[in-house]
Amino acid sequence: MTRFLLGVYFAIAVAFLVMPLVLLVPISLTDSQFLEFPPRQISLRWYREFFVDESWVGATLLSFKVGIGATAVALVVGTLASVAIVRGSFPGRRLIHALLVAPLIIPTVILALALFIVFLRWKLVDNVPALIFAHAVVALPYVVLIVSSALRSFDTTLERAARVLGASPVRAFFAVTLPYLGPSMFASSLLAFFASFDELIITLFVSGGLQTLPVRIWTDLMLRLDPTVAAAATMLIVVSVIGMAIAEYFRQRNVRRYGG
Amino acid sequence: MSRRRSVQLALLLGPAVALIGLLFLFPLLGVMKQSLFNPGFTTESLEKLATSPVAAIVLRRTFLLALSVTVLCCVFGYPIAYYLATMSKRWRAFFLYLILLPFWISVLIRTYTWMVLLGREGLVNNALVGIGLIDQPVQMLFTGFAVHLAMVQILLPIMVLTCFAAMVEIDPQLVRAARTLGASPFKAFARVFFPMSIGGAAAGAIICFILSLGFYVTPALLGGRRNIMLANLIDFEVHQTLNWSFASALALVLLAATLILLALFRLVAPERRLHG
Repeated sequence: MTRFLLGVYFAIAVAFLVMPLVLLVPISLTDSQFLEFPPRQISLRWYREFFVDESWVGATLLSFKVGIGATAVALVVGTLASVAIVRGSFPGRRLIHALLVAPLIIPTVILALALFIVFLRWKLVDNVPALIFAHAVVALPYVVLIVSSALRSFDTTLERAARVLGASPVRAFFAVTLPYLGPSMFASSLLAFFASFDELIITLFVSGGLQTLPVRIWTDLMLRLDPTVAAAATMLIVVSVIGMAIAEYFRQRNVRRYGG
Repeated sequence: MSRRRSVQLALLLGPAVALIGLLFLFPLLGVMKQSLFNPGFTTESLEKLATSPVAAIVLRRTFLLALSVTVLCCVFGYPIAYYLATMSKRWRAFFLYLILLPFWISVLIRTYTWMVLLGREGLVNNALVGIGLIDQPVQMLFTGFAVHLAMVQILLPIMVLTCFAAMVEIDPQLVRAARTLGASPFKAFARVFFPMSIGGAAAGAIICFILSLGFYVTPALLGGRRNIMLANLIDFEVHQTLNWSFASALALVLLAATLILLALFRLVAPERRLHG
C-alpha cells in the first residue's frame, strides 16, 4: 500500500518535472496573437515569424558561432589538461583540477560581474572572440570532468603495449588513447556546446550590443509575451533533447565497450 | 622531475592555466580589489553594505528563499530518489533519463514555460477555473509562489540525482537483514536505510542551496519587482546605479557564502563524488 502511494507520488513528480516542457509544444503551434491552450487553430505561423525575422536568425547564428568556438577551445584546452592531471604527478594537481571545474559551481553572476570589469578595462566588450573565450571558461568543466574520468578508467597496458612495439609516446597516445577517448570527447563537446549556447548572464554583462539567442529571448521576455519566443523555445527544447540523447548514447557505448 | 617532463607538463597544462587564470581567477581577484581597495585598503563598501537597508532586505530574502527552496527540494526529492533506487533496473534507466531531461534545458527556457503556464490566461488558471476550484483567474505571475514553484522544478533533478547516487550504493541485503531480525518495514527503513542515505541528501541540499543563492533569471522573470534577489541586485547596481564597488561587495558576500558551503560539502560528501 505504501509502495503504491509512493508510486502515485512518483508519477505526479515526474509529470511535474517534464510536463511544462511538453505543454510548450502545442502552445507554440497557435495561430493567435496570444498564447493559449489548447490552441484554437494549429499553425506554424510563429515558426515562420522566427525564420523571417532577421534579429532572431542573426541571434541564432551568433549563438552557433560562439558555441562552436567556445566548444573548440574548451575541448582542446580541457583534454590536454585532463591528460596532465590524470597522468602526471606534480604538486597542486588536485587544486588545478578543482579550479578548472570551479566555474560550474561558482554563481555565474559573480563571474559575469568580474569579466565585465576586466573586459571594460581591456576594451573587449562587444567583441566576439572575447565572448568565445569567456564562454569557454563555463564550458571547460564539462570537458575536464568527462574526459578525465574516462582517462582514469583507461587501461594503460594498451598504451604500454604500443610503446613496447616501438611506438613513440606521442604516436602511442594518438593511435591508442585518443581513439578510446573519442566518444567521451564527443559527449563532452556536446555538453560544452550547450553550456555556451544556453549561457545568458555572462553574455548580458559583457556582450555590449551583441545578441545571442538567449539574450534575444531575454529582451523579448522583458517587453512582451510574443508567441515567437514559444516557437524558439520549443525548437531549443527539441534540439537539446536530441543532443543530450546522442551524448548519453556515446557515453554509455564507451562504458559498455571498455567497461568501467 | 626531468626537464623533458616539465616541458611536457607545461605544454599540457599551460593553455588551461592561462584560460582559467586570465578569465576566471584574475577577474575574481579584480572583484575583491574593487570592493576592498580604493586605492588603498578600505572597508568602506563593506560598511556601506552593512548599513544599507536595501542590501539587508535583499540578502535576507535571498537566504530565506534559498533555504525554503532547499527544504522543499529535500522533502519532495528524497521520496522520488527512494522510489527510483528501489525500482527494477530496466525502468530505472528510463525514468532517470526522463528526470534528467529538464536538467539539460536552459533555466531561461524552463522559467519561460512557467511564465506561459502561470499567466492570467495561462493553462493553470484556465484549468482551475474549468474545474470550478476558483471563480476567476488568480494572480500567480510575479509572486513568491511562482518563484518557489519554478525553482523547485528546476533544482529537483539535481537533488534527486545526488540522493539517488547515495541510495544505490546501499546494500539491499542490510534492509532485508533488519526485516528478518524482526524490524517492521518502517523501522528497517528508519534505522538502516535512512541513516545510510542521509549523506547523499545533505550533499544534494548543499548543492541546491548554493545554486539557489545565485539564481538570477527565475526571480527576475517570475518574481517581479518585489522579489529581487541578490544576483538581480548586483545586476541593478552595475547597470542602473553604476555603483561597481557596492556591486563587488555584494558579489564578495555571495562568493564567501559559496566557498563556506563548498567546504561544508566536502565534509558531508564522499571524496570520490568530487573527483570521480
